[in-house]
Amino acid sequence: MSEQNLQGSLINSELIASLAARTALETPGVLRLEPTIKGFLASLGPAALANFHISGSQDGSYRHDGVVARINDGTATVHLDIATDIAYTALSVAESVQERVRENICHTGLNPGPVHVHILTIEASPGSIPR
Amino acid sequence: MALEDTRRLGCGRSIDQIWAGMDQPPTSHEEDCELCQAAKARMQKIKEATVALRESDLHNPEMTLPAERTNSIMALARAEARRSKRLVLRGTEYGTVEISEQALSSLIRLAAAAIPGIHSRRCRIEVQSDAEMGSTHLTINLRVATASGIDIPATVEGLRQKINKAIPAGVGIDAGTVNITVEDLYDV
Repeated sequence: MSEQNLQGSLINSELIASLAARTALETPGVLRLEPTIKGFLASLGPAALANFHISGSQDGSYRHDGVVARINDGTATVHLDIATDIAYTALSVAESVQERVRENICHTGLNPGPVHVHILTIEASPGSIPR
Repeated sequence: MALEDTRRLGCGRSIDQIWAGMDQPPTSHEEDCELCQAAKARMQKIKEATVALRESDLHNPEMTLPAERTNSIMALARAEARRSKRLVLRGTEYGTVEISEQALSSLIRLAAAAIPGIHSRRCRIEVQSDAEMGSTHLTINLRVATASGIDIPATVEGLRQKINKAIPAGVGIDAGTVNITVEDLYDV
């Protein structure tokens, strides 16, 4: 038996948000996650965030650009704001994101709760041909 | 109340009021009030320093916002505007799928732009969702201006067909009811 220590990591809402964001961005037809005020201020540095307060952030949820994740009783709930490529059908892209995110949440050992997807814009990507 | 009093001169006028009127000619009260005149004279140097600092900031390259920061702010502003009205496309136990009204209306405007002789104007969209049936019905109300001299019924019918194809292709649901109102004519 190996005596090498295994590195453990805590599954928290920040990790779920990061996982959901990465999964969404890897889904064909997703151009980007849409920015939020808090995400923008975070990019300016900690000082900009010091006086910024979001009431919803007190419930254990984690918010970053275009993603909110919350873990409650072992169930992870995710909300994503996405921009989709006009070359794809937006509803199919959103449903694919839901399926992939839920599947990846399962891999963490948590129960996948609802994955809410909000399509904020449909745009042509530089490489796509508008229909 | 005590704090308020410290911001007022003996004549009863507030210092903030005088500061706000620094660029204005003296009021009839100020012409006769020595207290106001003295306060205004003392604040004049601060006012000049403030203006000089503002001007200096305007021409200081270090105070100029980098282009990428401006782009980030504009991207954020556009995203916030899109968040204003959402329409539910699908709701299941796995979560909801919503679309912003702006995303839908930009698809419709794109369809209208492809029809010669049509300028799209205001576009409002309503959604009736039936959770049990899993169906969504859109009602699109589009107002347009048409070029004078074109066959309006035929052109508008062409636009309706274009929208009827663009929504299923771009969004994945039927276009539903498409109401088009020609509210103006424009000269070509």
